[in-house]
Amino acid sequence: MFQPLRIEHLSVAYGNARVLHDVSMEIPPRRITCLLGANGAGKTTLIRAVVGLTPPREGSITFDGIEISKLPPHRTAALGIACIPEGRRIFPKMSVQENLLMGAYLERSKSKVRASLEKVYNLFPRLAERREQAAGTMSGGEQAMVSIGRGLMHEPRLMIVDEPSLGLSPALVNDNFRIIRAVLEAGTAVFLVEQNVRQTLAVSSYGYVLAQGRVTACGTADELKNDPQVQKAYFG
Amino acid sequence: MELFLQFCINGLMLGMMYALVAVGFTLFFGVLDVIVFSHGDTVMLASFTGLGMYRLLEFFHPGLGAGWVVFWVLAAAVAVVAVLGMLTARFIIMPLRGAPALNTLLATMMFGTALREAVRLFFPDGSNPKPFPRLLPDWSAQFGTLNLRFDNLVLFLTGALIIVLVHLLITRTKLGMAVRASAQDAEAAQLMGVNFRLIVLVTFALGSAAAAFAGVMNGLYYNEINFNLGLMLGAIGFSAAVIGGLGNIYGAICGGFIFAFLQTAGVAAMPFASAYKDVFAFGVVIVMMALRPTGLIAEQSSRRV
Ligand SMILES: Nc1ncnc2c1ncn2[C@@H]1O[C@H](COP(=O)(O)OP(=O)(O)O)[C@@H](O)[C@H]1O
Ligand SMILES: [Mg+2]
Repeated sequence: MFQPLRIEHLSVAYGNARVLHDVSMEIPPRRITCLLGANGAGKTTLIRAVVGLTPPREGSITFDGIEISKLPPHRTAALGIACIPEGRRIFPKMSVQENLLMGAYLERSKSKVRASLEKVYNLFPRLAERREQAAGTMSGGEQAMVSIGRGLMHEPRLMIVDEPSLGLSPALVNDNFRIIRAVLEAGTAVFLVEQNVRQTLAVSSYGYVLAQGRVTACGTADELKNDPQVQKAYFG
Repeated sequence: MELFLQFCINGLMLGMMYALVAVGFTLFFGVLDVIVFSHGDTVMLASFTGLGMYRLLEFFHPGLGAGWVVFWVLAAAVAVVAVLGMLTARFIIMPLRGAPALNTLLATMMFGTALREAVRLFFPDGSNPKPFPRLLPDWSAQFGTLNLRFDNLVLFLTGALIIVLVHLLITRTKLGMAVRASAQDAEAAQLMGVNFRLIVLVTFALGSAAAAFAGVMNGLYYNEINFNLGLMLGAIGFSAAVIGGLGNIYGAICGGFIFAFLQTAGVAAMPFASAYKDVFAFGVVIVMMALRPTGLIAEQSSRRV
């Protein structure tokens, strides 16, 4: 069991534009922790800082006791953090199978890669049917499956999920939530950003609300559901 | 008929050489979205490294077998140029990531000029054309008036082998998969655990090594090299990469052969004006670019790198 992902006094900026101010959070193992916030609140920026794509200006990020705020993305990936990035970011000209294999890029054991592939294909039979197709020619829902499947191939200790359901039909969104719950049951910690607040809180144990780059509320899922600020913003 | 075949053989030889140069342009563009204008001068440096190695061997090991001479000449050219490629990536291209593309273009152009001037000034009598040694036996087979030279055959087969190896490396290996992934989405590739900086270095080593073969081939084919041969080969290699759709390896290879075909066809069609073969070939390239701005192989149906 690893120690939580701990974010302390984090500040992140793009050039001169400061986007996150003094953000602190904790993402514990074996739980789904969610991050709520309007568009432009800084959710994706926070995730980019955690995985190493946008190094923070100030503050610390530790994972399993290791300071990761200055590590490049391939090093945080090697620590067992998988990211399903905003916009899905599949490799459009690679086949579905190659996309999934990229997810297991750091795994040296061929038999483990095969086993993960098997698992992902069982979870998404649709991808098994289309394994040779160029991922960029698939529908939005299928591309979301590729992106999620690719993250699962990583067999991560922490899975960071940034709105894979954006623009999908309610049925497909439900599928994604089912998968996320399955990931949790496999023992992985999940840090979840999703548009659908009701469903997000239903699967989460704990959550944070981000507004204009600051944490404005946090609590258990039930506390957040009854929080006047959340009520007003999302259930109003 | 024989004349036609002779033209074909020459065209294939040149095409192979151009393809080897174009592959570098297209690889660099694929992975980093940059045009490396010093790439042509890299080819020139390979020719001169090969020649320098030959002179060293001649001096220190006069009795060395021909096979070993070829090996060491090639090895020196490939090693020096691959390292130069990596240094270029590390100290010119990478620091300029995030700056406007024009800056990279200018920086590499100036670096190419520096390479050219360095060879001109520091290679003994570098400003004059240098004879390039005949490293391969000059056997040839005569079919009627058709003259099939053994060394040309070797050059062609070696070039083909290099291209096939690059192709297999890119399409069949995990390293190649990481190169392709980085070309399509560098950030996503890093999230998968790909060390992007390392991939950039590998790509530059690979593209430059291919150019090194082209450089030695160029010397063996023309039996003469000079310090500014990279200008022409660079322009041709770049055109070939653009014809094929920048970023696309198959496109670059096809582009190389198309350009050589145009040159050869220009000579064949207008033997009286063979001096204008390059004008003709570049003219056709301009027309092709006007008609198909994205290259002959459309981006959608192609696999970038
Ligand atoms: N690459 C960037 N350069 C400059 N500003 C950016 C960049 N990416 C995001 N921003 C700004 O940072 C703020 C937070 O964006 P983001 O983290 O994407 O929010 P969210 O994911 O919550 O919608 C926004 O104001 C956005 O305009
Ligand atoms: Mg976002």
